[in-house]
Order: sequence, then structure tokens, then C-alpha cells
Amino acid sequence: MELKQETRERALIVAPNGVIDHDSAPAFEEQLHKVLKSADDGALSLIIDMKDIEYMSTVGLRVLMRVSKRAREASVDIKVAGMNACMCEIFKISRFDKVMQVFDTVDAALAG
Amino acid sequence: MLVRFWGTRGSIPKAMRAEVVRSKVIAALVAADGRRFDSETAVARFVDEELEMPVAGTYGGATSCVEVDGGEGDFLVCDMGSGFREFGIDAARRMAEGHSKTFNIFMSHMHWDHIMGFPFFGPSFDPEVKIRFFGGHDDLEEALRRQQEEISFPVPFEWLKANIEFNKVVPGETVEVGGYQVSTVKQYHSHDSYGYRFEAGGKSLVYSTDSEHKDDDPESEDMFVEFFRDADLVIFDTMYSLLDAWTIKQDWGHSSNVVAVDLCSRAGAHRVAMFHHEPIHDDADIHRVHTETIRYEELIGRNSRLEVLCAYDGMEVAL
Ligand SMILES: [Zn+2]
Ligand SMILES: [Zn+2]
Repeated sequence: MELKQETRERALIVAPNGVIDHDSAPAFEEQLHKVLKSADDGALSLIIDMKDIEYMSTVGLRVLMRVSKRAREASVDIKVAGMNACMCEIFKISRFDKVMQVFDTVDAALAG
Repeated sequence: MLVRFWGTRGSIPKAMRAEVVRSKVIAALVAADGRRFDSETAVARFVDEELEMPVAGTYGGATSCVEVDGGEGDFLVCDMGSGFREFGIDAARRMAEGHSKTFNIFMSHMHWDHIMGFPFFGPSFDPEVKIRFFGGHDDLEEALRRQQEEISFPVPFEWLKANIEFNKVVPGETVEVGGYQVSTVKQYHSHDSYGYRFEAGGKSLVYSTDSEHKDDDPESEDMFVEFFRDADLVIFDTMYSLLDAWTIKQDWGHSSNVVAVDLCSRAGAHRVAMFHHEPIHDDADIHRVHTETIRYEELIGRNSRLEVLCAYDGMEVAL
């Protein structure tokens, strides 16, 4: 999996795509840890643009949890943006919406 | 096989308070909206068909106790939480009508909420009764004797008249007990806990409570998926939200509704029963989590559908 990346207004924005499941989760995690390091090195915040993520099982949530824990340790601000309706519901049901900063769009995440 | 839930709450019994009853009555009258009913039957129909679970009923507050009723033969029970007292009263009635006086009791572990019903179990004073305990722990007998020491309870274990025996079961091995093939799995919980799979007449039931599924142990997850494989019903510890189970309540030994659906769906189980309800939660909270869990199952949308039940004291499920 290659993550699309761009830097805007002191934020590193990454856009994973497809389905995050048992098979794709390890690569997803590796990539996220890499971009987290880039964000840390460049003193940038990290925005995960989820608009091209169709669906993420708990394996994917687990990756997000580990990466956000690492981000907290490194004092990197991490945000999630642009989730589809299905992902919004999964975040709500799992209560992930209570700990992760969730925004409707990348622009809102940049402003927020 | 009929599965009867005598206690479904986790950690400590929860009694219903006056203001809760009052709020249910108010909600029911508001829902009736001034309607007139011409008979008690019509009222009962309104209550059963039009009111939601948290208004018309309750999940109850007794702790873990589940009976597996095969219709004939010995009694089979999982755990002896506070619901076990109620079960004992009903068992005495059935024994008076000719039921077998042998109890096969499978113990997940010996935390208080799973053993506190035993000192109040009437049949243990009947010399014709035989109680056969099964469990994975070496100190099961010690735990039951200790809970009836004088400092905590007036009736010592030695005074019990029933014939009581203790049998150790081993994970990975299958034993035949009272016509059921029973296999055992070791679970992650303080001082360990054990889950059981019962099979008879082509039906299968899994009792898996007080079991934490760690977020970084895919091998253990695969093992549980195999243990739950194609089960007709899995009784699953759904005490916490996924977030709590993975963060602030990590290592507290319990699991979540989301992991229940994930594992049972992967296993191709037919039904899952949410169990070991958080005592902080009231009926409305549990009902909301149940609704969300049904929705989560729809969202992850696998081909074979998993029916999500939410256990309540008094619920019966026919397999
Ligand atoms: Zn318990
Ligand atoms: Zn326990």
C-alpha cells in the first residue's frame, strides 16, 4: 500500500485507500508509522484523510489506536478527516469518536 | 437444547430502585397516550408489542448463571453468580416433580460474582443431591470453602448434605458429561478463566465470559474463532466498549460488543448473546448498546448473518 502524501499549512496529510482488513492492516500500520516519523521530524501535525477508505474492520481501528498512542508520546497532533457514513458509525459504536479528533473534511481538520 | 439465563450482570448484582420503576411507568403511560383498553389481555398485548424492552422489561441484575436444559437427564449449569439462588428454587420444584438430582456445574472461574450464589443454593442441603463441579482451576474447592468460612458466612461448607465432587478439565481435551461433549478453552482474565463448548444432538453452545481479547494477539484470536466455529449460540462477555477495553480498562479481563461480533462472524456462529453487563449501565444503556451492536453486525456485512441477542435474566433461547 502506498499512501498519498502532501504537506499543507504545517500538516502532513496522508490518504490511505480501499479496505483495511486482516490482509492489508500490517502494511497500513507500517506506512502510518513512517509518516508519523516524518511528521515528527518536520514538526508537522498529521491528518489521515479517510475519504477513500471504504471500510475498516477492528484490525484497522487497532492500527489507528496504536499510531495515535505513538503520536501522543511524540507530541504529534493527529486528526482523522473525511470518513464515509459507514466509518462514522463504526467510530461511534466503538467509541473511538470520543478519543480521536474527527473532522468532516481535511479543510476542517486544517482549520480545527 | 434450551439455554436459560438466570443471571446476566457482571461484577456485582444490581437491584432495581424505586425511581427506575417510576420512570418505566411514566414512559409506558406516555406511550399509551390516553388510550383505553377493553381487557387485561389488550393491555398485555400493548406492553408486549408496542413498548420497548427498557420500558416494558429489564435486563435484570443477578450475576452470571446460565442453565443448559436438555429436557431430560441431569442439570447442567455454568457459574453460580447470584442468579444461582433463583435457579436453586426452581430446581427444587423440578426435583419434586421427578427431575434427576444430579447437578453438573461448569465454573468459568471463582471471582465473587460467579460463586456468590452457592451458599444460598437450597439443594446442597439435600442428602440425595449430587453436585459435580467441573473447572480448569486447582483451587476451585478452596474458593468455595473459603467463601463459607465463619468470618464471612454462618453456614460452613462442611454442613452441606449433598454429595459434592470436584473434577478438573483441561483445555484442548473433550469430556463427556451428562450426554454433552464438552471442550474447554483457557481465557485471559485475572487468575485465569475458562470457556466451555457444549455439543449434543447436533447443536452447540459456547459459554465464554470474563474473557479479554487482547488487541495485539492474533494467534489467540484465531484460536477463539476456531473454538466458536459454527456454534448455534455464543455467550460472550461484552462488558465494555471497544475503546474502554483497549485503553483505560485494558487488562481488566473483559471484552466488548464489537469484538464479540468480529470473532463470532469470523467463526460463522449463528447467534451471539451479549453477557456480563456492566453494572453502571441501566436498562436504557444496555438496550442502546444492543441496538448499536446489531447495527455494527449489519455494517461489517459478511455473507452469513449473525443474530445478535442481548441476554437478560429470565431469557430462554432454544437451540
Ligand atoms: Zn465476572
Ligand atoms: Zn472475573
